[in-house]
Amino acid sequence: MDFTLSNEQLAWQMTARKFAEEEIRPISLARDEIEDPRETFDWEIVRKGSRLGFRTMAVPKEWGGHGSDFVTQALVMTELAKADSAISKTFSQCWKWSHLIAATCTDDQKRRFLKPFLEDDTFLLGKGISEPSAGSDNRLPPADDPKAGLKLRAERRGDEWILNGEKCFIANASVGKLFFIDARTDPNAPLKQGTTMFLVPRDTPGFRIGKVFNKAGWRFYQNGEMIFENARVPHANVVGPVNGSDMKSHQAGDRTGGDLFGDLELAANALGVCDDACSMALTLARTKQQGGRPLFEQQVVQLKLNQMHMLTEALRSFVMRVAWEHDHKTHSANAGLCMNYSTDVIQEVTELNLDLHAGAGIIDARADKLVRDGIIWSHLAGDSVQRMKVTRRVGK
Amino acid sequence: MYNLHLTPEQLEIRDTVRDFVAAEIKPPALKPERLEAHVRPLLVDILDQASQMGLRTLALSEEHGGAAADNLTCCIVAEELAVGDPDIAAVLAQTATLARAWFDRVMTPEQRARFLPAFLADERYHLALVEHEGDAKLGIDYHRPQASEAMAGIAAARSGSGWVINGTRQCVANAAVAKLFAIEVRAGTDRMSTILVPRDTPGLSVPARDRADRWGHGAAATVILKHCHVPVENLIGSEGRNALADDAGRGIPQAEAINLGIGRAAYEAALDYAQLRVQGGRRIIEHQAIGTKLAEVAIRLETARAAIWRAAWASDHPEAFADRSLADLPLTTMAKVFASEAIYHATKDAAECFGAMGVMRDMPLQKYVHDALVCLHSGVGNGEAKLRIAEALANYRRPAAPAVLAAE
Repeated sequence: MDFTLSNEQLAWQMTARKFAEEEIRPISLARDEIEDPRETFDWEIVRKGSRLGFRTMAVPKEWGGHGSDFVTQALVMTELAKADSAISKTFSQCWKWSHLIAATCTDDQKRRFLKPFLEDDTFLLGKGISEPSAGSDNRLPPADDPKAGLKLRAERRGDEWILNGEKCFIANASVGKLFFIDARTDPNAPLKQGTTMFLVPRDTPGFRIGKVFNKAGWRFYQNGEMIFENARVPHANVVGPVNGSDMKSHQAGDRTGGDLFGDLELAANALGVCDDACSMALTLARTKQQGGRPLFEQQVVQLKLNQMHMLTEALRSFVMRVAWEHDHKTHSANAGLCMNYSTDVIQEVTELNLDLHAGAGIIDARADKLVRDGIIWSHLAGDSVQRMKVTRRVGK
Repeated sequence: MYNLHLTPEQLEIRDTVRDFVAAEIKPPALKPERLEAHVRPLLVDILDQASQMGLRTLALSEEHGGAAADNLTCCIVAEELAVGDPDIAAVLAQTATLARAWFDRVMTPEQRARFLPAFLADERYHLALVEHEGDAKLGIDYHRPQASEAMAGIAAARSGSGWVINGTRQCVANAAVAKLFAIEVRAGTDRMSTILVPRDTPGLSVPARDRADRWGHGAAATVILKHCHVPVENLIGSEGRNALADDAGRGIPQAEAINLGIGRAAYEAALDYAQLRVQGGRRIIEHQAIGTKLAEVAIRLETARAAIWRAAWASDHPEAFADRSLADLPLTTMAKVFASEAIYHATKDAAECFGAMGVMRDMPLQKYVHDALVCLHSGVGNGEAKLRIAEALANYRRPAAPAVLAAE
């Protein structure tokens, strides 16, 4: 057992910490409070972070990225999320799909898409799976209902595919330049045997972005609607085999990420939020006085601080172990379990932080924001479907 | 005898209010602009309609023009209203409760003659109580006699034939809509007096509601009193006695009933959705994961209701404490802690059934979660409430406590 970080890992961590404190934290609350969900984004922070490598760090070195390992990725996500969970997620969302490009795209596709991604500080990535009538059905396709799941239709016409249908809740939809889109290419086959993944650039004819969803938390991170009306995508943009879209976990062999990275991502992000909540609570307990004495002296305050730190440090151990296991290509259900666990931890820790503030008579906007950000995990990382899906990995 | 049969009158008023909520409150309350946690204008027209139905004067005696509802009935009404809109429920509950305390019990006939006719005639006439800040947190004073912090708050001084009042109090329930305030003041000694101040008294101002005011249900706002002059006849009870606190008796769990209404709104929405939404080849309620989640929500709400109704019944039957039918415990405070934790959990579970729609601001589920979260921290807050319960368990009597602490 050795928990020592390498000099390179430490350097990334320090750069991320400095950037988070100096650049992200000052804009975090103001962005959260913008009412119009389309207006929460800030390209300047994306450009600045991109120049430091936070957008492209997961791209392999041979393709011009930083080739950071998973431990480094976890460290950076945590540091960025300490200042703003949603801004951290905006960057790491690009890593998830850089893993996918590196692992599954042809050299021609990498040339066409990775190169511009690396060159353009405002080039963001996304992936469209969810649809209005297909959420859980995509994650856990029911054996007894082969037609369940996404409905977006793609039909071959010569060298092109014609896409019709819509996606919803798609991360980075309103700000991204390139999307991986899952579409049904064989409507009579079950989801896994009838779906193909396409690379769809933003300017694809027949493809447009609809509404931007007005979320209670993660305000900066935009989720949007995608509408395909006879959208024309060249056959050269098919990722992997036709009718074999399940690239991110199975055929990609869990090497990359896809599910595994995504699970680690949510857990590492939650850890940053917990660090922030612990630090806020500790500062409050040390500085806020009652009867001339700091709140820290009170037993009920100590017990709450203890619970917050205990859970946060347990999550840190789990996150770093999972990152290390990914780097050592050890396959297990741990990433998923860690993601499920991070849901319970982020919510309890942020709620305790709010409780300590409210108990001291302070309605703190940031404490409220952390709780709202944490509740996002219920619908992404710790819902019943995500837990059962991970259990199936355990049971394999 | 403890009896869970509602009277025909209680059933009737529950059904009437439930219909009113479905027909009149839900449609405007569910509009997207009303679902934003921090910008939520009060539904004034609805409040007027509710007043016309008699809900503003629900608890006031029939002799003084009210419906003379008991505490349990008031809680049933508050729950129903809160299913539609907790702000409406909170405003009406506060005015109805204060109206009974003031007009039925503590005002002199002369005071009643001055204020009651206007109160009855004007459906927008609401009441607010500006409590003394001395109800400070127990905190380090838990199980110790002395309040650690100097009694700040609002001060009153005699001046000629009246009082001059100065001070500020934040987050006063109903302040934004009240036309008559009762202000707990320090007058010379450490002991409290209570003075009536009409809204139009020069020197009394209520600034626009800020973020802290909005962190709560109803129409809370800050009250500022600057050289506010009122006649000596506005004193309630006698000087140096907190007449309202003396009268308060056991707490009425109306805030808890409102909390329960919030939980029910979330539960009803989730139950409807779970029977419509199809994933995994069947309605999601037919999946064990969702079915048992909804079962847990229902369990939490029913047990919370049991605790709230019992506390409400106890507040209607103080003799049940005297004859040892009930343990001498702060049942309302205990119901608050239990219900607020159970219901917060329940609203989060209900929201989870909606997937991503559970966090969207133009959908109601995120609002129910927020509203339930607010209940965890409203009033004295749960951490403080547990300290008070612990003192009660140990039969600790707080010698120097302001009267409001002893109220429950």
